Amino acid sequence: MSEETVIQTRALSKVYRDFWGRQKVRALKALDLEVHRGEIFGLLGPNGSGKTTTIKLILGLLFPSAGEAVVLGKAATDVGKNERIGYLPEESYLYRFLNAEETLDFYGRLFDMTPETRQERVDTLIKQVGLDKARKRQLQEYSKGMTRRIGLAQALVNNPDLILLDEPTSGLDPIGTREMKDMILRLREEGKTIVMCSHLLADVQDVCDRIAILHQGELKELGRVDQLLTVEDITQIRARGLSEECKNEVSQVIARHSGELLEMANPTTTLEELFLGIVRDSEARPGRRAKVTAPVSNPDNKK
Amino acid sequence: MVLEREILPYMQWLLQGADDSWGTLPHFLLVVLGCGLLALGVGYCISAARHGFLHGGDNVYRVVAQGFRELSEISPRRVWALARLAIKEAWQRRVVVALVVFGIILLFAAWFLKTDNQDPAKLYISFVLTAATYLILGISLLLGAFSLPHDFKTKTIYTIVTKPVRSGELILGRILGFSIVGTLLLLVMAVCSYVFVHRSLSHTHRVETGLKHVSNASQEVIGYDGNTSKNAYHRHEVQLDIDKHGAALSNFGHVHAIEPRGDAPQVYPAEGYMRARVPKWGKLRFLDRKGLLKERGISVGSEWSYRSFIDGNSQAAAIWTFNNVSAIATADDPATEIVEDALPFGLIVRVFRTHKGVIDQPISGTIQVRNPETGLRSDAISFFAVDAKVDERTIPRKLTTPDGTEHDLYKDFVSSNGQLEIWVQCLERGQYFGFAKADCYLSLPDGSPGVNFSKVCLSIWVQMVIVISIGVASSAFLSGAVAMLFTVVFILLGFFRDFFVGVARDTQHGGGPVESLVRLVRQDNVMIELDPGPGTSLIEGIDFVLQKFMLSVAQVLPDFSAFSTVDFAASGFDIPANRVWQDLTTCLAYVVGLAVIGYFLLRTREVAK
Ligand SMILES: Nc1ncnc2c1ncn2[C@@H]1O[C@H](COP(=O)(O)OP(=O)(O)O)[C@@H](O)[C@H]1O
Ligand SMILES: [Mg+2]
Repeated sequence: MSEETVIQTRALSKVYRDFWGRQKVRALKALDLEVHRGEIFGLLGPNGSGKTTTIKLILGLLFPSAGEAVVLGKAATDVGKNERIGYLPEESYLYRFLNAEETLDFYGRLFDMTPETRQERVDTLIKQVGLDKARKRQLQEYSKGMTRRIGLAQALVNNPDLILLDEPTSGLDPIGTREMKDMILRLREEGKTIVMCSHLLADVQDVCDRIAILHQGELKELGRVDQLLTVEDITQIRARGLSEECKNEVSQVIARHSGELLEMANPTTTLEELFLGIVRDSEARPGRRAKVTAPVSNPDNKK
Repeated sequence: MVLEREILPYMQWLLQGADDSWGTLPHFLLVVLGCGLLALGVGYCISAARHGFLHGGDNVYRVVAQGFRELSEISPRRVWALARLAIKEAWQRRVVVALVVFGIILLFAAWFLKTDNQDPAKLYISFVLTAATYLILGISLLLGAFSLPHDFKTKTIYTIVTKPVRSGELILGRILGFSIVGTLLLLVMAVCSYVFVHRSLSHTHRVETGLKHVSNASQEVIGYDGNTSKNAYHRHEVQLDIDKHGAALSNFGHVHAIEPRGDAPQVYPAEGYMRARVPKWGKLRFLDRKGLLKERGISVGSEWSYRSFIDGNSQAAAIWTFNNVSAIATADDPATEIVEDALPFGLIVRVFRTHKGVIDQPISGTIQVRNPETGLRSDAISFFAVDAKVDERTIPRKLTTPDGTEHDLYKDFVSSNGQLEIWVQCLERGQYFGFAKADCYLSLPDGSPGVNFSKVCLSIWVQMVIVISIGVASSAFLSGAVAMLFTVVFILLGFFRDFFVGVARDTQHGGGPVESLVRLVRQDNVMIELDPGPGTSLIEGIDFVLQKFMLSVAQVLPDFSAFSTVDFAASGFDIPANRVWQDLTTCLAYVVGLAVIGYFLLRTREVAK
């Protein structure tokens, strides 16, 4: 594993079993992934596709049925790796009888931080996530958005190198969503590696460098977002200030390089369409990697 | 005061044990070895079933190796953070309600308990301390057993275990936190109990008018005799000197000082209802009615074989041998003066009557001292037996022997190696005296009752910590309700450990568990052997296996009935320091053992299942 690889999973699989050992769900099937340093990696998939399961396996909260995950050069079940990891679970799993300060202080102690660093860190984080006014209120009084923020602050207590975010924007309003996304981008600028999972396509499209699309526990697509969304066999021309004749003779114009050519590139579809295409294809031909090329979209739909 | 098990000196207890048992440390190490091998075996089987033989072995090795590594990585700061969290959680769960409950119990006690009993202090102390014990154990049970499962249920554990928290710290932090909460509750309860007992028992009297003059041979008045008024269901006899200084004599387990005030004598508050007698126990032998030496006296048919009996008006005697008697006499403390005068000792007699005897008259007996070396025996000092009460007496310094000569107690009756024998016999035909080893003791100066009371609380504390540890360790693997049930079963078996071991060793009547079940269903007599046959062989076979299993379980069962020292304080005896240290050591052993078990249970558990 190279220095640049932060997470590597090899044929990682998870089968949920009941008390008697009978198979209930095959939540993840032989996942091979690599996450590189400094990128924002998105796990995308419909509900129940195994995103959370993947994250829990990476964190060692679950034991794999087969395969293995290596995180920051250590086995996923090694507690030592947690020193450099931050985790925001899908819901707030915090102690509701603590207030924001106590919560962060408590998690700071779990990292064996000295009182001075702890105090400083708690203070910065509370300000950073905008809970300054509510710092003395118990978490049980918090709204969903505030809970999400304190959850994020909790994940950042140790200034981690690798941050795992499970549905970071779920339940947030558009403004909250925007702020969360900005925060994620800012964290990348600080050089951190981020793995987030979501079923909200727009969020993933906005922030992720690379994505993996999961469906029913299988990896369907993996790659850079900009590449995945490129439609290769079509050229899109966007031009301005052309007269009517010009428009009529657009192909000739191009051939003769006359008129002002504003853009000449491959058009992109939206992630939404790619995603829906994959899901449809996967349902039609289960068990195989998706073979969808991005459908042509109406360029007018694009922003 | 009943002392069913001898209290060994600490080091002997730790390393050697009594004659028929092991020292505690070897026993502990053996249990650790046994549990370790068992856990390895079970762990390997499970792992091998899941991952195959080789990979399974690899997994087991990694878990164990990591366990040892993580031991060195335990961080006090993390443990303390988790302990603080546990304290806050307990507070959230409103443990203070327990104090309200205790308050209500005290109110009821004030209402129902009466001081009309010969030994009211015993009743009061044992009631409040027993109530405190059960309440504290109940809370420990709830706190310990439900905490981790609650974390699993609300999934708050996810955010904890994804921090660099070692599983061992999760267990230790909880044990520490809940122990602190329990300690605070116990402190409050102890102070309330102490105040309650004192307030309930404190009372005073008036000296009744009509004091009788006491004169000496030359008809001079040297003092007064009389009675106090009846308060708190009793009155005392009063002896005063000519200046009206004096005392209300011992009754209902206490005395009062009396000082003159103006003209009338005034009775001061009760003293000495709480005692911490420090006994020095000896060895007990018996002579039977023909004068032959025996290990035990005879049985009068009592099921409880703690005491054995001697016949009245025969050669039967109970003989205690005390060591280092001269050492007591010259002990360097303020009470030495008294001790040098006479040898104070205590005697508890169980009287067993086969006929009424003389109505209204207690059974009489004699006490003699004897030098085990020279065989010199003093004249008999006669006494009246007070059934089942501590009778505090002294052996005078100057004693006569049957040949009429006078001898010194320490010079002539104590042997050169410091031994002294006390012989007790019963005088009346057809009546019996029953004794156990702890029923006769030489009195050392009393300890402080307050300190003794704290020692009882310490033993409650020890039980509390053990219960918390069992609860936390078992809840690392079981869900809350099941963990609680498990802990309760553990505690109950612990309370009835002797019986449990009896069944396992086949010393109880009625056979092993299956056999007794069969007898129960068929309503068979427990004394008659089952009819031989294949059925009986099968039953005995199953019982054999079960009994072996029970014996192994018994090795780790805490002996809760033996932990309780309430009886010491209630009967007014000092709890020996050896006992306290032994209990603390046992507690430590349980905490360590259970924390390790809890660690592995938690470590091998899939958190997000
Ligand atoms: N603890 C569990 N026990 C049994 N099945 C589970 C458990 N957790 C998740 N699953 C199942 O595994 C699949 C994947 O779940 P999950 O990873 O939570 O999906 P996602 O996060 O992508 O929505 C789902 O079918 C879900 O029902
Ligand atoms: Mg999910």
